[in-house]
Amino acid sequence: MRPDWSIFRRWEGLLLILLILIVGYNALSTPGYLTVGNWVNLFQLSIEKIIVALIMTFIIINAEIDLSVASVMGFSACMMGFLFAGGMPMEWAIAGGLLAGFVAGLFNSFWIGIVGLPSLVVTLAGLIGYRGLAYVLLEDRSIGEFPAWFDRLGQQPLIGPFPLALIVFFVLLIFAIIVLQYSGFGRYVYVIGNSKDVARYSGVRVRRTKMILFVVSSTVAALAGILYAARLGAVRGDMALGFELDIITMVLLGGVSIFGGTGTMWGVLLSVLIILNLRNGMGLANFSGHVQTGVIGVLLILSVLVPNLAGTVQAALKRRRARTVEVVAAE
Amino acid sequence: MRKLSTIILSLLVISSLLLAACAPAAPAPAPAAAPAEATEAAPAEATEAPAEEAAAEATEAPAEEAAAPSGDVIVATPGQAVKMVLMPKFLGILVFDQANQGAQEAHAELGNTDELQFLGPTPENSVAGQIEIVTNATTQGVQAIMISNNAGDQIAPAAQAARDAGMTVVTWDSPIPSAEGEQLFVAQVDFAETGTVMADMARSILGEDGGKFAVLSASPDAANQNAWIASLQETLTDPAYANLELLDIVYGNDQSEDSYNQALALIDKYPDMELIMAPTSVGIVAAAKAMQDEGLCDTVKVSGLGLPAEMVEYTLNGCAPEFALWSFVDLGYTTYYAAYLLATGAMQGAEGETFEAGRMGTYTIEKDPTRDAGLRIVMGPFTVYNADNVEAASK
Repeated sequence: MRPDWSIFRRWEGLLLILLILIVGYNALSTPGYLTVGNWVNLFQLSIEKIIVALIMTFIIINAEIDLSVASVMGFSACMMGFLFAGGMPMEWAIAGGLLAGFVAGLFNSFWIGIVGLPSLVVTLAGLIGYRGLAYVLLEDRSIGEFPAWFDRLGQQPLIGPFPLALIVFFVLLIFAIIVLQYSGFGRYVYVIGNSKDVARYSGVRVRRTKMILFVVSSTVAALAGILYAARLGAVRGDMALGFELDIITMVLLGGVSIFGGTGTMWGVLLSVLIILNLRNGMGLANFSGHVQTGVIGVLLILSVLVPNLAGTVQAALKRRRARTVEVVAAE
Repeated sequence: MRKLSTIILSLLVISSLLLAACAPAAPAPAPAAAPAEATEAAPAEATEAPAEEAAAEATEAPAEEAAAPSGDVIVATPGQAVKMVLMPKFLGILVFDQANQGAQEAHAELGNTDELQFLGPTPENSVAGQIEIVTNATTQGVQAIMISNNAGDQIAPAAQAARDAGMTVVTWDSPIPSAEGEQLFVAQVDFAETGTVMADMARSILGEDGGKFAVLSASPDAANQNAWIASLQETLTDPAYANLELLDIVYGNDQSEDSYNQALALIDKYPDMELIMAPTSVGIVAAAKAMQDEGLCDTVKVSGLGLPAEMVEYTLNGCAPEFALWSFVDLGYTTYYAAYLLATGAMQGAEGETFEAGRMGTYTIEKDPTRDAGLRIVMGPFTVYNADNVEAASK
């Protein structure tokens, strides 16, 4: 009986080994790392990014990109703050913030789905435009003093040691895994990502799928932005600035191809855990922010390099073996 | 065979990847862990017992002497182990490095057997980064954190969690506006005085007739900047300053490029503006450089709060004839003393307590007039720099 090593040849297998090594290293080197409190903090400090990473996985597998997510986060949170400061009750202000995200999503998907512009261009415009709107709403102000229940939702545990945002993340994660890996819609996402034309000729409704994804993406981003506002207890125009790159990094490291068609939610989950634990471990070891950013950059480069490198070496080995056989045959 | 070689290859790459990721990690935790263990093992006994005695002595003994002049002066007991973190708004700003220098000086002077870390976020990640550092410090069991707050009230939940975990939280340079989660603010100068100093410099540069000027600040959430601008506006209501007109307030976020562009935008927007007042060491340099690059130093002057070393060129060539500042080295030093006293339990952080901060002399904790719930000490004083004294100060 040969043991089945095939999982380690897949990207997820490598991520799993990496994760175990990082967790092991942190656990041995940093007291206080393996506590429930630290693990809640570790998620909580990046919770908004990893919530958006879930939907970004769908979009990148679909061979598209949404660069506007962080700006939508900021825009929705600022809309909420703007409405609240204007005297609206908090519940309605939250609904207004979510609606702003939903409308932003409709706008994106109109240009991508109906007009047929590339998502890179449309969402790049969104990145600039929605951020601009956020600044227009709040100018240079920062709005805080939200009702206590709102701040508590963002900052205090809701069930056991888990705050609301963490629960939202796990619910969305389970939902995302089921939809992407086990549903018809999920299969459409992969098929479209592999080849738009094949998908269209097979009767997949390409436009509709894309439009749904971009509306959901902005709506989830709006939710994440509002959770971020609750965690910080205040909003301002530059909220979540630059988050889109961290989010895309998580998805790519998870083994999702930037060209679409491949990758799994499991891989993204592993990559999220790796990045969070790496950051947390480096933070607890008092690394400066610059070093942390650098290490994660190196990780991303390697995540692109390693699979390609492995492929090249494999091909070279095959060629050499073939040559040896020829030589033997010639003799 | 091919399978096997692939597996080996992948493992090799992974391990090299890990080396890349963890190699810098290896040396860092070692010194971090070593002193911690060391203090737990041997000096723990050594420090604990004498600490109590010494603290008792310290408060009792000088109390008798000091009782006569000005009540009890709390004096620090050297040699205690307090794990401390000094956090600037972000890394890479000269004045914050100077504050670190002052704090390290006090650290050595007090013979703290634990470590003092200088940890800050990257500029583009200042708010989230500051929150992350405070949260991580709580996990690490840091005993005192000294914060120059750049996150407005957004840092309050993290600071409060740190307080709940028993950590000492002192702010310096820029406080937490609501004072929630903060025990004491070490103010560099009296914030109300800052407005007068700036208005006086404006009057001295613009002359008797006065003129129009604009403020170039750091970030809209920087509590210190906002308090100074408010104090400046308050000063301007005084009839003595009636001929000074404040046109606009813009924000360069303490980023050189942002500030430079904001300064240029001001020129376009207000052709009759004669002065840019930048109460930030980054903004004032950027504004002075912008005026110099545009050849406008004769018509638009720059003033505010700046570092002599960074401003000497512009002061001597007339772009920024006058500016002011306090010593950031002293600020770091004083902050360290206050945090050390609070963390060792020698001081409670109550209004009216008086303590001695080494070479800086004694300070008394008072209510912060700019924040309803806050307590502060005021370090001071301002030094105004001009062509006469800037060269000497820049060395």
